[in-house]
Amino acid sequence: MNAVDATEHYETSARDPAPALLTVVLDTNPHAWALLEDSLPLSKAIANILVFLNAHLACNYANEVAVVASHSQKAAWLYPHENPATKISHDADGDVSMNGSSTNNNTTEGPGQVNKYRPFRIVEEQVTHNLRELMASTSGPDVKANNSTMMAGALTLALSHINRRSIAWAEAHGADTAAETSGGGPPSGGHASGTDTTEGLQSRILIVSVSGASDSAHQYIPIMNSIFACQRLHIPIDVCKLSGDAVFLQQASDATKGIYMSLTEPRGLLQYLMMAFLPDQRSRRHLVLPTRVDVDFRAACFCHRRVVDIGFVCSICLSIFCEPLDNGTCLTCGTNLEIGDYGAKPAVVARKRKKKKRVNGPSGTATPTPTPTPGP
Amino acid sequence: MGDSDEEYIGEVSEDEDDNNVFRGSRSEGSASRAKRRKQRGGAEWEVSRTWETLVEGADGTISSTVEGLLEAGKRKRLLKDTTPLQRGIIRHLILIIDLSQSMTEKDLRPTRYLLTLRYAQELVREFFEQNPISQLGVLGLRDGLAIRISDLSGNPTEHISAIQTLRDQDPKGLPSLQNGIEMARGALFHTPSHGTREIFIIFGSLLSSDPGDIHQTIANLINDKVRVGIVGLAAQVAICRELCAKTNGGDDTRYGVALNEQHFRELLMDVTTPPATYSQKQSASSLLMMGFPSRTVETSPSLCACHSKSSCGGYLCSRCNSKVCGLPAECPSCGLTLILSTHLARSYHHLFPLVNWVEVPWQRASRSSVCFACGIAFPPVPPKDQWQTTENQAKGMSVSSRYECTVCENHFCIDCDLFAHEVVHNCPGCQSKPTFPKKADLLGCQAGLGLEIMDTSA
Ligand SMILES: [Zn+2]
Ligand SMILES: [Zn+2]
Ligand SMILES: [Zn+2]
Ligand SMILES: [Zn+2]
Ligand SMILES: [Zn+2]
Ligand SMILES: [Zn+2]
Repeated sequence: MNAVDATEHYETSARDPAPALLTVVLDTNPHAWALLEDSLPLSKAIANILVFLNAHLACNYANEVAVVASHSQKAAWLYPHENPATKISHDADGDVSMNGSSTNNNTTEGPGQVNKYRPFRIVEEQVTHNLRELMASTSGPDVKANNSTMMAGALTLALSHINRRSIAWAEAHGADTAAETSGGGPPSGGHASGTDTTEGLQSRILIVSVSGASDSAHQYIPIMNSIFACQRLHIPIDVCKLSGDAVFLQQASDATKGIYMSLTEPRGLLQYLMMAFLPDQRSRRHLVLPTRVDVDFRAACFCHRRVVDIGFVCSICLSIFCEPLDNGTCLTCGTNLEIGDYGAKPAVVARKRKKKKRVNGPSGTATPTPTPTPGP
Repeated sequence: MGDSDEEYIGEVSEDEDDNNVFRGSRSEGSASRAKRRKQRGGAEWEVSRTWETLVEGADGTISSTVEGLLEAGKRKRLLKDTTPLQRGIIRHLILIIDLSQSMTEKDLRPTRYLLTLRYAQELVREFFEQNPISQLGVLGLRDGLAIRISDLSGNPTEHISAIQTLRDQDPKGLPSLQNGIEMARGALFHTPSHGTREIFIIFGSLLSSDPGDIHQTIANLINDKVRVGIVGLAAQVAICRELCAKTNGGDDTRYGVALNEQHFRELLMDVTTPPATYSQKQSASSLLMMGFPSRTVETSPSLCACHSKSSCGGYLCSRCNSKVCGLPAECPSCGLTLILSTHLARSYHHLFPLVNWVEVPWQRASRSSVCFACGIAFPPVPPKDQWQTTENQAKGMSVSSRYECTVCENHFCIDCDLFAHEVVHNCPGCQSKPTFPKKADLLGCQAGLGLEIMDTSA
């Protein structure tokens, strides 16, 4: 019976290879880039990334790109950028946005640009223009005050955009997938479509990371939320780390089956990008990917920040502690916690009980007999 | 619900057509079923009179209203209670599936039985996605007996394959709610008190052939602090309502009757949200001992302690060094709960939910022309005199198609609203600004929480 459904899905997938949407999250923290000035200045990195984006666009005429800046105090779109004043409709779709961008960015248009492949030129113009604006809007005190990067915001923006494009793509290519992406049960909708959309719009996220994670601590929960969303939607997060020590990014790529690379030689950025990060999900199945096996998942206790192997977890707020609490009050949420329970091992008793039940269960007589109730 | 007249009649007539072994009880059942449906599911569409909400737009068509209704439907689903509550994050749930004769009916496509099995598998997968440190077990009701399908454990694949094997068997006999519940109660009896004890029943029958007094069973359930949720596939059954109401402190909202396939699925998926703990006694809070193992990669394969399969990778129990192949798990030799810190993080969005966004009236709509997150264009603000005409539209839907996050005051479209609340659990606006709104005023601990966990890096 169910097979009928399944075959229908496969029929729709027997079309052209689906396009891919590549979203680059660029960490533009000025502080971190200043430290990289000697090996890889930002301008050169941008040039490399633009070449990479063009390569992606060239793979399939329908491929799309998006660039989000994760700046020190805000996350902002670099491309496609919706400028409320001039441009109103359609993002990432090159054909439509060019009208807007030509009026928008005519200042940057030089004579040499005329012969450029149009999608390439639009991306380049918008990215450079918007980045320049972003940098101009950053004042010295801002940089001093804040040394973090808005990774959670950038990821959330990127995901919203991917969601929008997936819906649009599904609407344009058959309603059945559209119903799944936009409709469907809450989280289940995502899950169901995740398994079925292997031939839908292929989205992936590449994070170019430069700043350290230690200052973005307050973003931990939002970042983890974004990572879980990616995991659920089968969007791999690739991480290209130029400097810094953003540990959560290891977990991000590990959880979403993306590629994690920490570049020892940032100058070779373009080569790394082209060799490691260009293949899409379909090609990746046939490649040996650079993976990272030694991800450290150990937790740190909330009380002393000690890395723990065995910890004590508050059942209410899930805070981790390295030792049983003295007065039994959770340091985070203040709940009075029962101590002593952890030492006991009820599992053994439970197992005995279960066995007893199993004997009485299915092997009982055919007439309904009351299942013996375990005494309290 | 988008339930229509035709569908309703169609289902009933189908009932009468089918050749059921329990002809006597069935025909009586379908009559009472029709009546009950009017009471519950039926009442909804009868009272709401959806056709009357169709108002011609300015251009003389109803397309804008229809679109609005669709949008309202989407939104209705996501407007949920976002007051941060203490929720039972560590859950123990027994899923009881009706495998009796009545499940052969075809009023849900392809049959109640096959659809239930399929949704049950989805439920298991989703349950562990949402409740990674919880435990689940599956029972079946067939031939008056309770049948053990899978034991209480935290491994979704075990349950899914166990449910999968049911496909080859046929539903048979009568169900016994009492037997099923007693067996579930036995399985839940020794679960630790810091977790929730829940039973969820998918019940396709209109009767329960019990060996004893089910009211005694209900009393026992209350004693054991077990909560029962039921989704019915046929019609309301009084004892089911009573079961749910009595075990949930008088609240019978955990009893639902599926109107159609979509509704059935929604009712099932509601189970994946951790229940609010409504009394301090219900779940004693306690400090749990857990192991946070790190992953090892060996040069030569060795057997894992959980399945005795050879593999190169795995996690070593932090107390006894047994190798388990997947997490979260309970160490097979010493019983320590082994998890990753990311498993804990997965539950944080239940504890610190994203606030609902509010509808934006035309007065404030001019502030934005595109969605902050995805950049889709909003309809332009019409002249003031037209504001009134568009105002009286479906409930829950924003006249201006804009939804505003009350914290960062950015405007979003309906799709981003849905996506933010149901998938990412982040507000794109709040996360893109340097000032960090405190989502967790309840515990006031979110900042601290994140800060400390971040130091896993060290
Ligand atoms: Zn400590
Ligand atoms: Zn706590
Ligand atoms: Zn194993
Ligand atoms: Zn162990
Ligand atoms: Zn949007
Ligand atoms: Zn917000």
